[in-house]
Amino acid sequence: MARDAERDGIFEVMETAVRELLTDKGLIAATDIRRQIEVLDSRSPALGAAVVARAWTDPAFKQRLLENGRMACEELGITFYDDTQLIVLENTNEVHNLVVCTLCSCYPRPVLGLPPDWYKLKPYRARAVYEPRQLLAEFGTVIPDDVEIRVSDSTAMVRFLILPQRPAGIDDLTTDQLAALVTRDAMIGVVRDLVPSGAVM
Amino acid sequence: MQTLSKVVHADREDPVFEPGDRVQIDDRQPIGHYRVPTYMRGKPATVIAAIRPTMVDNEAESFGRNAGSRRHYYRVFVPMTELWSDYRGTDNDGLYIEIFETWLKRAEP
Amino acid sequence: MNDLSTLITRLPNDVGGQPAGPLDRSEHELLPWEKRCHALADVLDFRKIINTEEKRRGVEALGSEQIGKLGYYERWIVAFANILFQKGLLTPAELAVRMQAVEERQRSSE
Repeated sequence: MARDAERDGIFEVMETAVRELLTDKGLIAATDIRRQIEVLDSRSPALGAAVVARAWTDPAFKQRLLENGRMACEELGITFYDDTQLIVLENTNEVHNLVVCTLCSCYPRPVLGLPPDWYKLKPYRARAVYEPRQLLAEFGTVIPDDVEIRVSDSTAMVRFLILPQRPAGIDDLTTDQLAALVTRDAMIGVVRDLVPSGAVM
Repeated sequence: MQTLSKVVHADREDPVFEPGDRVQIDDRQPIGHYRVPTYMRGKPATVIAAIRPTMVDNEAESFGRNAGSRRHYYRVFVPMTELWSDYRGTDNDGLYIEIFETWLKRAEP
Repeated sequence: MNDLSTLITRLPNDVGGQPAGPLDRSEHELLPWEKRCHALADVLDFRKIINTEEKRRGVEALGSEQIGKLGYYERWIVAFANILFQKGLLTPAELAVRMQAVEERQRSSE
């Protein structure tokens, strides 16, 4: 959608007016919005990547992560500022996981930051539950026929993070180096194979 | 540690459905707000897990009622071929979704 | 089911399985007001003023035309205004007057 200064004008004015009125009435504090922006700015796919790298290198952590995703993230200091839960879905040789919210745009924001535009728009939301293989092909991701696809439609209080498979042949990387390989798109499930050599995906 | 046996659970504290149970998603068509997508209505499904703890009914919550309706959500599974007669994928592909207890009943055997 | 039944029982956002075209994978950085609007949603939720489900229902209640024509955060801010009116926390007149004042302030600082 084209950006249009005049069009944005009334909505920005409305946002400012609502925020000021709520503050004047004492319903929100003057610092609430600024603080929450700091919270949001601190959340990005780097957090999810750190969780994945830790799971790859610490089997006991991985076990806890698969049992209760939110609690395991909280161990790493990734607080959840809302009431959502987190289920971490592990990709295997036999199973590929994909996440969508057909009804709106539910996304594991505390651990991945804000979702990409395409995740929130109709083509992704309509097609992920109906033709996931064809949709993934548009990301350059081909899922073999002997691999089962599991599409999770997150419409309730649970959010999802995909735990991609660890690439082969990279045994001597540090956790930070491993985390640098993990992309946002792999943690949503539109990408399956992570590139071991640091190529940008 | 053994579970203490004389503790009586209140109504709704325990999940009604267990992993492996076959359930039927209701086919009612609410006017206005709902959180069960149309493509899931009336479908038979298999329970994967009860989500713990009990949580508020999100459809009631959307009208400002955020207390008094806590029950379980269930993660359920439906094969894609059950959802779409023209599904282009493999028979093993599946759809997983969390459904609130008030939308589910036990499937007829 | 006839068209009117579908109109009132199928929400515009309930798109799972509907025909849809190819993906547009372009991404945009949030404008400052959009980020403030997102932060406002979170604050309204944890301050127990408007919870996230109420917001979702509020966006749906905008109806197909507004949903089709408004952008993502535009829908949120209009939905918040409507819900605040419904809850008696704000009146349309109050908001209108403040919006005029904000516009005036912006004009005079240009």
